[in-house]
Amino acid sequence: MSFWNQSLEIARVDLRVERRLGDTLRIVLPFAVVALMVFPLSLGIELATISRIGPAVFWALGILFGMQVALRLSAADTQERRDLHALLGVDPAARFVGRVLSGGVLMLAFLVVLFIAMVLIYGPTLPSGSWSTVLLGTVLFSIGLTELGTLAGEITAGLRNRTALASLIVAPLALPLVIGASQSLEALSRGAGILPWVLLMLATDLALAVIGVGMARPLEEATR
Amino acid sequence: MTRIRVLFGVAAAAMAVGLWFALTAPPDALQGEYSRIINVHVPSLWLAFLAFGVTALGSIMWLWKKKQRWDRLASASAEVGVLFTGIGLFTGMVWGQAVWGRAWDWGDPRLTSTAVMFFVYLGYIALRNAVDDPVVKARRSAILGVVAVVQVPLVYFSVNLFRTLHQTQSIRPDGSTMPAEMLVAMLVNVAAFTILYVALMAARTDIARIEEANRETELLAGDAVKPPKLSEVGDV
Amino acid sequence: MDPLVHLENAGVSLGGKPILRHVDFSLQPGQVAGIAGPNGSGKTTLIRLLTTLLRISEGAGSVLGADVTSDEVFTVRPSIGMIGHNPALIDELTLRENLVHVVRLAGLAEERVDPVLDVVGLDEASDRRADASSFGMRRRIEVAHLLLTRPRLLLLDEATSGLDNSARELIDALKDRTIADGGGVVMVSHDHQRLDASCDEVMALSSGRLESAR
Repeated sequence: MSFWNQSLEIARVDLRVERRLGDTLRIVLPFAVVALMVFPLSLGIELATISRIGPAVFWALGILFGMQVALRLSAADTQERRDLHALLGVDPAARFVGRVLSGGVLMLAFLVVLFIAMVLIYGPTLPSGSWSTVLLGTVLFSIGLTELGTLAGEITAGLRNRTALASLIVAPLALPLVIGASQSLEALSRGAGILPWVLLMLATDLALAVIGVGMARPLEEATR
Repeated sequence: MTRIRVLFGVAAAAMAVGLWFALTAPPDALQGEYSRIINVHVPSLWLAFLAFGVTALGSIMWLWKKKQRWDRLASASAEVGVLFTGIGLFTGMVWGQAVWGRAWDWGDPRLTSTAVMFFVYLGYIALRNAVDDPVVKARRSAILGVVAVVQVPLVYFSVNLFRTLHQTQSIRPDGSTMPAEMLVAMLVNVAAFTILYVALMAARTDIARIEEANRETELLAGDAVKPPKLSEVGDV
Repeated sequence: MDPLVHLENAGVSLGGKPILRHVDFSLQPGQVAGIAGPNGSGKTTLIRLLTTLLRISEGAGSVLGADVTSDEVFTVRPSIGMIGHNPALIDELTLRENLVHVVRLAGLAEERVDPVLDVVGLDEASDRRADASSFGMRRRIEVAHLLLTRPRLLLLDEATSGLDNSARELIDALKDRTIADGGGVVMVSHDHQRLDASCDEVMALSSGRLESAR
């Protein structure tokens, strides 16, 4: 089976499993929406400020909860399943790409719904062109965060404290994505161009893709 | 061991010289005596980035050559790096609070990148502590080292871009406008701290080498499992 | 004729501790080798070494002609089949979906799935989720997968434990077919009688070393 077909097959099965389990959209997403509501209640701030900080809160929660979405898929991988893939001759890089594809789709769906919830709860004033900017930012953010989450999930596979450890690894290194995504919307509201921020996220995504594919084989050895 | 003692002796002497320069250089006209913190803050940040670079180099070399000495180098540098990164961040916050009334400077990409590095180091050390097998430990942490060496510059670049497009100037001096005596004092301390780093690295890699050598051939798992005493089962 | 497996003074350490030491082992085409040993003697470690998923820490060897210390092993893995302690099925998929997943990744035609499900006796039960199926049913799916992929080296690690007679006979049939195809089989078991009855040679693992038991 070709590299891309292997990737697509792994992504297909991951999404089918997620459709049956429903953890991302039935548990993580509602939790994230609750967190959206906790912020203004705990800060006790006025409505004008709430509507202004809405997009920033969205991206901050996007990274915190998005990490859980990204890590979930690799968390479900057992040693037996990894061995089976290895013995079937599945290219470790194809596994990485497949995981990023499925995780990216889940993350995108998660973020789109969370963004709509934020707009409803915070009532931000969004400049024209926001939706396409947010969509572009969300796509690039999803890809990058999923790549980081997949890498971190593989590096910590089988370890006792993997959830916390993987999150510790992902969070600081995801800063370029948060900055790029949030600042692109901010730039739009100032009437400035979004290109630098888009390029920043693109560079991050590409760098992580190269690392993920390049390190796939050593990573597979590392998880034995 | 003699080599390490000599290194620490030289480091102690260099630190003493650096301290003398730091205390005798004239204070900054605006910042007063608080400006002397620069003699700890800047060298610590320099070492934080040096240590990070050495960890990255050790990681890449381990993945290429698979020799344990590269893993020892990478992990020792990470541990020493956490120390100096923490000192750099702490002194920076003390300095900022004392002089400018603000502990954290969002306009300084170096500060944010250093904070990110600190957490990456912590994650690196936590990862190593979670794995027993030395080869698995070396491989996983080497991969994290490679991920970090690509991502941290991106973090720096993204914060720098944030600063530039928000026209936020860093409140910290970039060093090049310092009076000559202060600059000399700072550079002497950079050299002293670097010697201290080398001494700490030598000691830490030596300890790691001894720990590996002491990993004796212990009881095999199978030898630890004995046949049950079937005749005594009824007495339980 | 080149051996399917050749290990020379091979050793494996895990967690810094030696599990296998000075292992010399050879498997010829058409041969069934048995490995016996008490709990914790390293039997599963040896099997994982033969799958090439675990690297040796010392010594030398080859599996299906690939040097076990190099990346050549990636090319021969599709010719290795293993039945281990726990079936490698995805709980949320049905038994049939699990087999289809494996068939696709192996680059085989999906049309072959239904006939092999019939052979292993799961044609009517294949729409059950893996986590709702018995251990024996999940084992049969593993056998179905190996019947389709036809490995040259078949590794059985306590493969018949907990199975009824018909499932055991199915695994025996898989073993016999592999030998008939010119492949080799390594069986690991606590059951000395079964090993003696099924294997051309039985070896014993003790203190990490492999010795002939006969």
